[in-house]
Parts: sequence; structure tokens; C-alpha cells
Amino acid sequence: MNGVRVGKRIIGAEAPVTIGWENVPKVEGGPVKQFVFTWFQPVMLVALIGFWYYAPNSIATATTAITLGIAFKILLLGLEWVSPRFTSWRLTWKEFAVDLFYVGMGYTVVRLIGSYIGSDFMTGAVQGAFEWDKFVWFLGLPLLLQAFLISFIFDFGQYWMHRGMHNWHPLWLTHAPHHYITQLNINKGAVGNPIELFLIGLGIGGFFDFLPRAALLAGSLGLAVSIYQHINVRFNTPNWWRYVFNTTEHHSVHHSQDFEASRSNYSATWIIIDRMFGTCVDGEAELLGMEGGRPMPIRETMVYPFTEGWKSLKERFRRNPAPAVPAE
Amino acid sequence: MRDSVELPAGQSPEEAMDRLEPLFHERGTNYQRNRNRLTFDKKGQPAQDRMSVYDRGELYIEQAASGNQLRYNMVSRAFLFCFLAPLFFLAFAQMNILIGEYQASHEVSQDSEKPDEADETIDLPQNAIDKFLGAPAPEIEAPTDDEEGEGNSGPSPTPAYVFAGIFCVLYAVGRILEAKLVKRLFKRRLAGLDTSPARTSQTPTAPSSAG
Repeated sequence: MNGVRVGKRIIGAEAPVTIGWENVPKVEGGPVKQFVFTWFQPVMLVALIGFWYYAPNSIATATTAITLGIAFKILLLGLEWVSPRFTSWRLTWKEFAVDLFYVGMGYTVVRLIGSYIGSDFMTGAVQGAFEWDKFVWFLGLPLLLQAFLISFIFDFGQYWMHRGMHNWHPLWLTHAPHHYITQLNINKGAVGNPIELFLIGLGIGGFFDFLPRAALLAGSLGLAVSIYQHINVRFNTPNWWRYVFNTTEHHSVHHSQDFEASRSNYSATWIIIDRMFGTCVDGEAELLGMEGGRPMPIRETMVYPFTEGWKSLKERFRRNPAPAVPAE
Repeated sequence: MRDSVELPAGQSPEEAMDRLEPLFHERGTNYQRNRNRLTFDKKGQPAQDRMSVYDRGELYIEQAASGNQLRYNMVSRAFLFCFLAPLFFLAFAQMNILIGEYQASHEVSQDSEKPDEADETIDLPQNAIDKFLGAPAPEIEAPTDDEEGEGNSGPSPTPAYVFAGIFCVLYAVGRILEAKLVKRLFKRRLAGLDTSPARTSQTPTAPSSAG
């Protein structure tokens, strides 16, 4: 396999990766299907923003956001059956059950730990350390600008955390289990070691004071954009969307079995951040995972950072043994 | 998972096993075929393996009054995991309740020493553009009884209960669905209607795919 030169890198030398939007297949089917899968993403984005912008205060609550998020995921699961991107990514009962276990972990164990040492705790600590009145001006900005800034700043932090995970071994150990997934489905974002899920959830966007509605609007950007990172649906995504936002295509490249391809497309929502830092690769991949596609069992996923960390430590000390001290 | 499938009329046991055998040409699958009996075990089977839900088992052809039958007996750790998952979430719910009780008793003793803080009312600004476009005016709600109680009651056990329920349903669905799917798979293989061993990749592995 020769691969394709993208910037200074050769992508697709180890596993097949399709490079360039002109080589990515389009939605197949009749005019109705074409229409739906061309306009679904932009229409849902505008609809969600419109809803959160105009919803009365009694409805614009976190509970509504959670309910809407679950309902939207169920809708997208339905779309996976109607217009799958790849049949090899078809959701099976076993995959669904395993994914849901990780989702359950996120809603229970990770949330409990996060409530004590996660973003909420850190935000409170940092806010307490500054004279926060200086940032009250943020509240007076237009709602959509606030929402954009919250989303962009959070994603900027997440980009560097994610990039750090791919470049620093201790962080990689927490992130590696997520890269053992061999297909993308709607709940695959939750699959991984809980430590990683906790780390990736840390953001700097929360350090500002903002209107609650702006936070909900920023959340709707996540729901209407970054949710498509892990989904088995073929869309005719508009080019402007692909330029600004992350897509399934981008994220499939990130999960490719090709090592160089996996070191690209780090952002969750704003792929333009990857474009800014030269890590964006436009294209898609079907063969995903690590070690040629070996799936990682749940038990291994839970202990991987510790077992591999221990192995790495032993290896390090074996290579650099302490200088021998002559016996007295 | 135990069940049986009738062999098509006139099909020999040897021919039936020949048609089923390719299902076990999968990564992570070891199998042994001894005439009319096939035993297998799987380790690290990929999600794309059509029998990935099963970890070991045996298939054999048996003569019955109605003709030859394929009998199979397969074991799945995924079912066991799904059966036990509700217990995990129920245990977690109980842990949340205990944490809540501990926090409540801890905070009650602290609250009695604290002076009551006066409620602060904050005027939230609204940008002129949002006012013009008709967005509802921002307001800070007074904390409700529920919200006030949240700090005392600790983490909620409700999500854990919900997931325990979901996994009970998922187990029941899986037992019925997977039994039907594997039976249909065997029937179609024996009838020669299904010839692809796995949900194969559509991406060609030739270099041309990358570019």
C-alpha cells in the first residue's frame, strides 16, 4: 500500500484510507432519500438552535436537554438502519449491549467521580481564585456569540487534551482503549476507559460566567454536530459543514488502522481547529481499530491504563537500571 | 443456546457441514471438525463476525424420525454479562443511597452552625440583539425545594435504576433475537441462500483506495 501524501505525511500506507471529498461515496437511493440525507444535518442544527433560542425559561432546562439528547440518539439509531455508511459497521445486539454498558458507566460511575473531582469542582475552584466580576461582560454578549465562545473554547481545550493523549504515553494509556473500536455507531463515543472519559470532559469553557441559555445553546451544537463523530450513517454533508465542523468521515480517519491517519482530526466539534494547526485530513476510512482490528473486552478496557502503565514502567527501569553499587 | 434445524431434503450430513464450516473461518475462531460434528471456541472475535455473540459450542448432525437434523449447543458470555449487568447497576444505586445518607448526616451538623445566608438577586443583562430578536429575558430562578435538597441527598440513584431496567429488557430481547438470528443463519447456509461468511469490508485493500 503506497498511501497518499497529505502535507508532510503519508496517509493510508498501513491500512486503506480514502482521501479527498471527491472520492467519498454519496448517498444511494431515490430522490426522497437523497433529499432527507442531504438536508438532515443542517436542518436539525438550525431547528435545535431555534428551539433553545426561543424556548420559554420554564422549558429551557437541563432536564429538557437530557430528554432531547436521548430522543435524538434514538432517532439517529433509526437512521443507522435506513442509510448505513458501511454494512460492516452494522449495529448488532452484542455491540449495542456493550456500548450501552459504557453509556451506563458514563451516567453513573464517571458522573459520580466527576461531581467530586471533575469539571464542576475545578470550575468552582478556579472561579473562586479570581475576581470573577471582571468577566461579567461576557453575560452581556449576544446569546449566539456566547454559545459559540463556550463551544469553541471548550473544544479548543479538548483538542489539546486529545492531541496530548496521542503524543504523551501516560495520557495515551487512558485513551488507547477507545481506539480499539472497529466500527462507528451512535453510542461508541462512550466506549473507553472511565479515566479518559473523565479527562476528555474537562474543559476550560466552564470557567466563564454565562447565561444558562447560552450553555444550552452550546450543548445543542454538540448534539447537532459532534454527535456525528460516531455514527454509521451516510450523509451528503454540505462542503461548508465539512470545512467548519467535524464529521463521521473525519472521525473515521482518526479511528483508522493506519497509524498516521489516526494522528489527525482531534477536535470534537470544530474541525477548523484542526485546520488551524495542520492536523486535519479530509477523507474516510472503513477499517478501524488497533492491532489489526482486535476488539478489546470490557475487563481489559477497565484495567488497561494500569496494566500497560505498569508494563511501561518495568520496561523503562529495565532499560535504565540503577548504577551498580559495589558490595562493601 | 440449544436448538435444532431440519436439513433440506436429500442433503447429506457431510454436505451440510461443508456449508456451515465457512462460518468458522473467522479471526479469533478455532474449530475442529470430526465428520458430522464441529466444535468451536472464539477469543477476541471481531464485531463483524456473524456469530460473535457466541464464545464456544458444538454443532452436530443427528438422525431423527423426520430426517436429518442439525443440532447445536452454544455458550455466550455476552448473555451472562447482560444478565449480571443489572446487579452491577443496582449495587451502584445502593452505593449512591449510602453516600447520600452519609452526606445528609454530615451536612445537617454543619448547617446548624452556619448562619442563614440572605438570598441574592442578580439582574442578568440581555443583549439588545437578543431583545430585538425576541429571545425570552434571562432570569435567575429561586432555588426550588428539590434543588436545595439535592446537596443533602447526594448523588441520585435513578440513572443506575434506569440502566438496571434497560439491561433486564436487553437480556430478554437478546435471548429471543439472537436465537432467531442464528437459526435463520444456519437455515440459509444449509439451503445455500447465504454464502458470505462475514459482514465483510466494502473498502478495497488495493493501494488505489487511498487516493
